[in-house]
Amino acid sequence: MSTHTTGSPAGAKSTGVTASGPLSPRNSVRTRVKAPSRPGDRVFFGLSLGSASLIMVILAAVAIFLIVQAAPAIGANWTTNSDLNTGPTAGHSSFWSYVGPLIWGTVWSSAIALVIGAPIAIGIALFISHYAPRRLAGVLGYLVDLLAAVPSVVFGLWGIFVIRPFLLPLEHWLNANLGWFPLFAGQQSGTGSTILAGSFVVAVMILPIISSISREIFLQTPRLHEEAALALGATKWETIRLAVFPYARSGVVSAVLLGLGRAMGETMAFALIVSPSVIFSLAVLTDTRNSQTIAANLALNFPESSPLQREALIGTGLMLFVISFAVNFLARAAITRTGKGAQRRKLEVVAVLPAASTTFEIAATATPEQEKAFGADGSGS
Amino acid sequence: MFVASLSARSWVAKTHTTHIPEGNTVKITRSGSIAAFALIGTLALAGCAATSTGGSTAGPSASPAEAAVFGPKVDPSLTGTITAGGSSAQGAVQPAWITAFNGTQAKGVTINYDKSQGSGGGVTNWLNGSYDYAGSDAALKPEQYTQAQALCAGGAPVDIPAYLSGVAIIYKVDGVTDLQLSSATVAKIFTLQIKTWDDAAIKADNPKATLPSTPITVVTRSDGSGTTANFTKYMHDTQPSIFTQAVGTAWPVPGTSGQQGGSGVVNAVAAGSGTIGYADQSGIGANTAAKVSGTGKDFVGYTADGATEAFDAAASPAAQGDGDLTEIVDYSKITGATAYPIPLLSYLITCTVHKDAAQGKLTQAFLGYVLSTQGQQVGAKNAGAAPLPTSVLKLAQKTIALIK
Amino acid sequence: MTSTALPKARSPRNPRNPQGNALTSGQLPRFFELYALAGSLAVCAGVFALMGFNLVGWLVVSAIVYLIAVGVFSSIVESRRKATDRVVRGLVVVAFLLAFIPLVSTLATVIVRGISSLTLNFVTQAAGSHFDVATLKVTNTEGALQSIVGTLEITGIAALMSIPIGLLTAIYLVEYAQPTQWMARTVTFLVDVMTGIPSIVAGLFAFSLFSIIVGPSKVFSGFTASVALSVLMIPIVVRSSEEMLKLVSSELREASYALGVTKFATITRIVLPTAVAGLVTGIMLAVARVIGETAPIFIAASFTNNLNFNAFSGPMSTLAVQAYAAYKFPGKDIQASIDSAWGAALLLVLLVVILNLIARLVARFFAPKGLR
Repeated sequence: MSTHTTGSPAGAKSTGVTASGPLSPRNSVRTRVKAPSRPGDRVFFGLSLGSASLIMVILAAVAIFLIVQAAPAIGANWTTNSDLNTGPTAGHSSFWSYVGPLIWGTVWSSAIALVIGAPIAIGIALFISHYAPRRLAGVLGYLVDLLAAVPSVVFGLWGIFVIRPFLLPLEHWLNANLGWFPLFAGQQSGTGSTILAGSFVVAVMILPIISSISREIFLQTPRLHEEAALALGATKWETIRLAVFPYARSGVVSAVLLGLGRAMGETMAFALIVSPSVIFSLAVLTDTRNSQTIAANLALNFPESSPLQREALIGTGLMLFVISFAVNFLARAAITRTGKGAQRRKLEVVAVLPAASTTFEIAATATPEQEKAFGADGSGS
Repeated sequence: MFVASLSARSWVAKTHTTHIPEGNTVKITRSGSIAAFALIGTLALAGCAATSTGGSTAGPSASPAEAAVFGPKVDPSLTGTITAGGSSAQGAVQPAWITAFNGTQAKGVTINYDKSQGSGGGVTNWLNGSYDYAGSDAALKPEQYTQAQALCAGGAPVDIPAYLSGVAIIYKVDGVTDLQLSSATVAKIFTLQIKTWDDAAIKADNPKATLPSTPITVVTRSDGSGTTANFTKYMHDTQPSIFTQAVGTAWPVPGTSGQQGGSGVVNAVAAGSGTIGYADQSGIGANTAAKVSGTGKDFVGYTADGATEAFDAAASPAAQGDGDLTEIVDYSKITGATAYPIPLLSYLITCTVHKDAAQGKLTQAFLGYVLSTQGQQVGAKNAGAAPLPTSVLKLAQKTIALIK
Repeated sequence: MTSTALPKARSPRNPRNPQGNALTSGQLPRFFELYALAGSLAVCAGVFALMGFNLVGWLVVSAIVYLIAVGVFSSIVESRRKATDRVVRGLVVVAFLLAFIPLVSTLATVIVRGISSLTLNFVTQAAGSHFDVATLKVTNTEGALQSIVGTLEITGIAALMSIPIGLLTAIYLVEYAQPTQWMARTVTFLVDVMTGIPSIVAGLFAFSLFSIIVGPSKVFSGFTASVALSVLMIPIVVRSSEEMLKLVSSELREASYALGVTKFATITRIVLPTAVAGLVTGIMLAVARVIGETAPIFIAASFTNNLNFNAFSGPMSTLAVQAYAAYKFPGKDIQASIDSAWGAALLLVLLVVILNLIARLVARFFAPKGLR
């Protein structure tokens, strides 16, 4: 409690009004306005603080659960232990040699899904928010949201019955003609149970997550910024790039991260579609050399495993925890950096522009100024 | 109305007690039953429900020559909930048993069997005390048995064989319909030593077939499975020099196409070309299964009788304690000309003494029904299971009598 | 057409005309993009007709040809800026159409395969079975009522727990905490980590927790599953709500404070209604995410075909679980099982659609007038 107060007495604790994160596009305004405080205020504050604390408690409980469950298997000797040198965990000298390929498989599969899915998802969001006719946009937005309603089991079934046979000819062609490329190498798939098929389906699964959040964020761009850019002669794309994207960056990255989290934790689609092996492999077109993901491996092997093997599997779950944190951390660090860099780049763009297009020059340079002007105007009113 | 319902009741009870053990008669009476049902209409439903009580009580009095086995007498007003789970091989048979039990013995008992847990998960949950009984494709391991003794305070854990089926080898090869595979060929295919369908070994097993040169896609289970354990044990027991990998629930040979669940294997085999895989016979649907050989020379396709015969030949009791009916199945002993070489045996595991006496009573009633002649027939009719030999059922009933 | 426009074109870099601007520079005809699209479709149809027709290949190659054509023509006739604009517009539309294929395919697959099992009885009856003593045959009647009840109760309880916690946490992060403060940082960090919990682990966690609390023999219940789903749901609610609240312009808040409105009232009357559309989208995403979970339900609520209304005792089924179980553990008639799996899947999709519609209506009701 005490940490948050601004030093004001008797619970009249209004902090910075724009409590925007470091990633927020609007952290310029940091005026402190004190709002009046009533008992209801304090209760509400207590509730929100309580919820935030509850999340810490839940996560601590999950973390403790995972660590306690996983510790015996992580610490065990995998070559001599009679539980661990048989069954799904056989042939690994230690926990780390078991989980290593699984981590690789998780990162690899979800990266492919993200590479396929994220640009298209952002494209959809842009289309709905800025290109589609207004009336159509609502319907289309709803259709995309509908896809979020399709449960992963259904995507798994769809993958088995529709996508596997659909992609098989393409896979055979790539495998035959571009087989020298490590991604497409390996024995031709007979059933279509490839990482490509799995990741493709997961890419479709994360589309609605990324696109519906991005769409909402694009729609929230202050209209004045956009109108200012357009008025200054910027084309639609320039408006989007200079007015919409800088504003939406943090939110879009969050949306992509949510999609990535979904992809990394995705169990059923990979488990149902992909034929897995616990190995390091780049191949995406074979049945026999697909790197397995942590979540699918956990779900596939958990039921028949002995208690110690289960603990080893929970240990791999702990690792998924760790890598999803690492990925989030890196991504957040990356956007904080590019957030600063972007301002600079915007100016560089202006400098690079041909002298002839004066209109654009004005647009580009004016936008940040406009931003400031509007900001000042807004706070002054 | 009342009269009609009564007549249905007495008629059904008669059919049940006299004709069930002989296969042919059942067919005749079945057509009769359709006529009767058409006449009585919905009343037949009432009749059936009414018969439920008659099923076990009327039974013993009119037992035919080869002495059907009956479970302990069940109070039809019994109510309660049994929570159980485990083996997915029993996934098809358990619902049938449960419906039949509710239909003939006690209507008020709710039984939840969770087939998603798998044998391992079922045993683990049972050891934790979450289940009243577990379904498992393997008997308790010695350490699990020791652990279970604490659970069964005052009693003993028991493995009761309950479901006998077979592992089918299914394939899809263009132009091939009657595939025969010797155990050596099976082991070579599944260890990836044979790579194309026109290999000499397959040709030798199928002199008449025209085999294409397509590569073999071997489809296996990507998840742990009792089916895999039985199938690998079959290859290990019959061809130890070819199949040198580990026997167990996890598929041991890398480089195959792994699919989730028996249904995943069946789908992938059916959708592909040049594919071969293994699955519990109850779940292969319309796919063609190969005739296989064991250590003998004969190629045998799955039949319920063939599996029972194989069980008689291969199983030898290895009790771990009082009332325990663990069987060791040695696949190399199956040599009969009609015995199916890859039987699959699945157990029900429970305690003789339950912490909660009411749960013990429910469990006893249900297991008693499952291991009766009728219960086994229900499995045969609805899941293609092979009825266990009467001698085994009698032993099982002795064990079940201990449950409280 | 383009050839007539060409002479007028001035390269933006043309040194003789440094003042060239959008008004006087060359312009492509108004419906140029449509012509280009038709042209590339026709050309590619010709090429593919020679090489062997393939619908998807044709569409994809046409799209690429179209983009290149538009880019080239526009940069010759107009300016590079306009060319970029047109190409990006094309890309966005292509991305949308590309995405539309799988979207439509998924929905069509579910509807086409599921519609036959979706009878009135399927919705209003629990799965049942009938045993015929004479033939010893068990006949099953498909039904999904037990799963509909389970889905609504389990997801409903999970939502009741997660939405307040998630929303309040987001409010704390955006409205109360300073971003530099340790508490806010820790919570953001933990929420990040929480998105990485595999669903099966959430199930195991809830199972272990309730094994301790209520004992192993009573552990399977809808509520246990709800707790597992909450663990999965909370981070999604926090993440999306946080982003949506951040987007509420600070001018609104400041104006409110300037009028002497309390912080509580500012949040509930100004901030939340402004963000309500986005918040609802995020919450519905979270609901849709967990409503389709299977692994944690199996572990925490076990599996049953029996109708169970009491979420606090005994196994429960959900539609996703029913669909998965029917596919993975088919009965003797495999096709019938798979049909009922698709039926349950379609029902689940419909259920989420209905929930989504209700949520949107609610959002529209609370949203400030005239903002959008």
